[in-house]
Amino acid sequence: MANMNLYSRGDKLFVIVNMILLGIFTISTLYPFIYIAAMSMSTGFEARAGNVVLTPVGFTLEAYKQVLSEAQFWISYKNTFIYTIFGTLTSLAFIIPGAYALSRPQLYGRRFWNLMVAFTMWFNAGLIPFFLNMRDLGLLDSYIGIIIGFAVNGFNIILLRNFFEAIPQSFEEAARMDGANEFQVLWKVYMPLSKPAIATVALFCIVSRWNGFFWAMVLLQDEDKIPLQVYLRHVIVELSDDEEFANSLLTSAYSFETVSAAIIVCSIIPILLIYPFLQKYFSKGILLGGVKE
Amino acid sequence: MSGVSLQQLVKSYGAVQVVHGIDLDVQEKEFVVLVGPSGCGKSTTLRMIAGLEEISGGELTIDGRRVNRVAPKDRDVAMVFQNYALYPHLNVADNIAFGLRIRKESKEVIASSVEEVGEILGLTPYLERRPADLSGGQRQRVAMGRAIVRRPKVFLFDEPLSNLDAKLRTQMRAEIKRLHKRLGVTSIYVTHDQVEAMTLADRIVVMHDGRIEQIGTPMELFLNPVNTFVAGFLGSPPMNMVKARVASGANGPVAEFNDYTLPLANIASLQNAVGTDVILGIRPEFVNVTRTPGNGAVPVDVDLIETLGSEALIHGTLLNEPFVIRTETVGQMDVLDGISGFTIDPDLIRVFDAETGLALPGQVTKQ
Amino acid sequence: MSAPSDSRVARIVDHLKREWQLYAMLLPTIIWLIVFLYKPMYGLQIAFKDYSIFRGVAGSPWIGFEHFDSLFNNDQFLRALRNTIIMSVYGLLFGFPVPILLALMFNEVLNQTFKKSAQTIVYLPHFISSVIIAGIVITSFSPSAGIVNTILGWFGIDSIYFLTKPEWFRPIFIGTGIWQEAGFQSIVYLAAIAGVSPTLYESAVVDGASRWQMMWKITIPSIMATVIIMLIIRIGNILEISFEMIILLYQPATYETADVVNTFIYRQGLQGGQYDFAAAAGLFNAIVAFVLVITANTISKRYSRTSLW
Repeated sequence: MANMNLYSRGDKLFVIVNMILLGIFTISTLYPFIYIAAMSMSTGFEARAGNVVLTPVGFTLEAYKQVLSEAQFWISYKNTFIYTIFGTLTSLAFIIPGAYALSRPQLYGRRFWNLMVAFTMWFNAGLIPFFLNMRDLGLLDSYIGIIIGFAVNGFNIILLRNFFEAIPQSFEEAARMDGANEFQVLWKVYMPLSKPAIATVALFCIVSRWNGFFWAMVLLQDEDKIPLQVYLRHVIVELSDDEEFANSLLTSAYSFETVSAAIIVCSIIPILLIYPFLQKYFSKGILLGGVKE
Repeated sequence: MSGVSLQQLVKSYGAVQVVHGIDLDVQEKEFVVLVGPSGCGKSTTLRMIAGLEEISGGELTIDGRRVNRVAPKDRDVAMVFQNYALYPHLNVADNIAFGLRIRKESKEVIASSVEEVGEILGLTPYLERRPADLSGGQRQRVAMGRAIVRRPKVFLFDEPLSNLDAKLRTQMRAEIKRLHKRLGVTSIYVTHDQVEAMTLADRIVVMHDGRIEQIGTPMELFLNPVNTFVAGFLGSPPMNMVKARVASGANGPVAEFNDYTLPLANIASLQNAVGTDVILGIRPEFVNVTRTPGNGAVPVDVDLIETLGSEALIHGTLLNEPFVIRTETVGQMDVLDGISGFTIDPDLIRVFDAETGLALPGQVTKQ
Repeated sequence: MSAPSDSRVARIVDHLKREWQLYAMLLPTIIWLIVFLYKPMYGLQIAFKDYSIFRGVAGSPWIGFEHFDSLFNNDQFLRALRNTIIMSVYGLLFGFPVPILLALMFNEVLNQTFKKSAQTIVYLPHFISSVIIAGIVITSFSPSAGIVNTILGWFGIDSIYFLTKPEWFRPIFIGTGIWQEAGFQSIVYLAAIAGVSPTLYESAVVDGASRWQMMWKITIPSIMATVIIMLIIRIGNILEISFEMIILLYQPATYETADVVNTFIYRQGLQGGQYDFAAAAGLFNAIVAFVLVITANTISKRYSRTSLW
């Protein structure tokens, strides 16, 4: 499309102004990331002096060396991978069969079960009862607590359920006539047919696991178990208040700011790597979820 | 014997009953078509036979075995769905083999069965393709292939042709009929299309509002419908219905309407019906058109003649109701040109009670 | 003749025999919901109890509405409540129009490559964790190294320690929220725009309409229903403020403008150990939020039904 010659002068002007404004918004969205990347590769002295604007000043990778030589960084990184991988798999193991069952019209009490899921999206007991419950279950400071305790999410169930519901029921019926039991129907027919929806849910899970920090911070005290985000918070947020500490860190090669920036870069990279997949699926997912309830 | 027998079969959803106790015996190798308007319970009945709907009451036996509570996969029936339900992620061969794989047949059996079915249905060149790459007719064939590969006792068809265009439908209809002749498997076929019912069925079951109206061969139903519903449902264009009153004429009972009289068959039930209101069922095909009024001809106000080639449809009104005549064109174009009315053989008029809609007893139109 | 009532049990047993696998699939999810979400709802009763860890939820004595009494006499709580509402309203006021504007602007872009790359960039921040976003904010607003103060320096303005200034907390928090979410939220509106029949535009072109006119006369009216539904939903979620970000960004110096109900609960309960009191605050929050969400849902359902022609 878009043969500009077909447009009047007013239209051309409108299109161009629009593009410029959008360009400005886009650049200002992107800029902080560039700024942080530049910061992470600048020398500590220049960073401290506020001389970093767009590109690294006095290019050095000292900050990265510093970050990567920190044992806690690697422990947290490993933990985040554990929480992300096992958390996502656990979520899918709950959500896929659950959503499938909820999508079947022959399920007795279907309205009730669905309401039970949807209700958790409107009302939750809040921080304190959830925390006390986790404590009573003995799930403080445990990998299992983080992995299982956040496995199910009403939105993801409903998203997937809606997708399953949109698949003609005759697929299930045909498979059952062919001799398949419900597990086989799900595994051999509905799951292959729902790849995009399952990918969407899986990606949502991965992102929320990778980014999850609040409950990890509350539930995990043991530094051997904390994920990257909690470690990040410790370094970036808590220590940023500590001027003395920040000054003690300052060498000509790196500073508190460049080290923070380097950690940020290191922890964004995995998200950037899966971002192309995310982009492919999330808009679809949002629309799916939006269809009902 | 692999017949299917339904005794007082009932389906209800909560308090709402949608199938009110159906009795039907399908003989081995028979091709039975359930036909009726949408919502008449025909699909529900078929799905109860398939095991896809729980049976609320009555008995269902397949091959002499009561299967009310048997899972679909253990009933030894196969079904072709309206939308075919071909698995889009599997190619044609895998679609056909799906049921055999689930049943853990050996690789050799699967391969040879798929090959055989592919040949029977002319799908051999397409076995590697995905359903999305097939035409409507080919998909239809794959759906049938998936059913026949298991060699079930009974085939169930749920409006399998309704997604095809008219030309393909005619073609596939013939193919289904041929396949049935070749395989000789008991078949139950649901459709709302009376033409499909007429052409495919050994026997037709006309359903309406969850009840069976009439069971019989296509010609029985066409010539001797038991009530106005069946009469109006089968045949295209549908039977004309004319309100009249029975009177006694010189040579037996006659039907009177407006100022006209039509002689009726001289049988006891009609003689006894003198003085009652009736509905005359007049098939568009059974009348003889005439140019000259009088002579016992019933006048029709003609407003449109559609010539279809060898025959023509004449649309007019009689007693302010639409009246359609279907007639040959060859040799009587001049008659059509100035048509003013029709005559009809008394034996070809079907007389229904105006109140109950039931055909008066004793009328038999011979085939 | 059909289904006498005494066969009801038999029918259910029959059904379970046929379909037990479905229930087996559902069971883990239901158990999970009960153990992790419904059981805490039972635990909410500590809001009416003098909770002690040793006696447990059930064993602690009832004290009625005492916690609620003290809650509404607690200046910090009232301040947190006020802050929540103020920040939500500001967030709505400034944050709500941006995604709509973005969607309209994206729709007017003719160059597909530009459009795709711009979208790729503006959706990205949504997927970045709040800790990282907070890190970026802290670094950018840092008094010595931060770019914001660097720029102020160019204009001869003295460096400001933004994150310790109560008057700056809300603009920074709301601005960050817009920066992070506006792009992503525009997807809903883009989808609504995509649903407009192209023939409307084609006939407008034939009628000689300019792009500006088409935007006002066709695009905006077409997405109005979506806009209103989103607005209702946003209002319904007014108490749902991203307190994770606040926890990361606020400091005692900025509590006065930054502290919201959930951060208050976090401090009192999880950090201060006053579980019962904090649970009371949480219950109050949850009930108000529930009522708002349900009301919004009902209204939006009614609206979306009638608005579908």
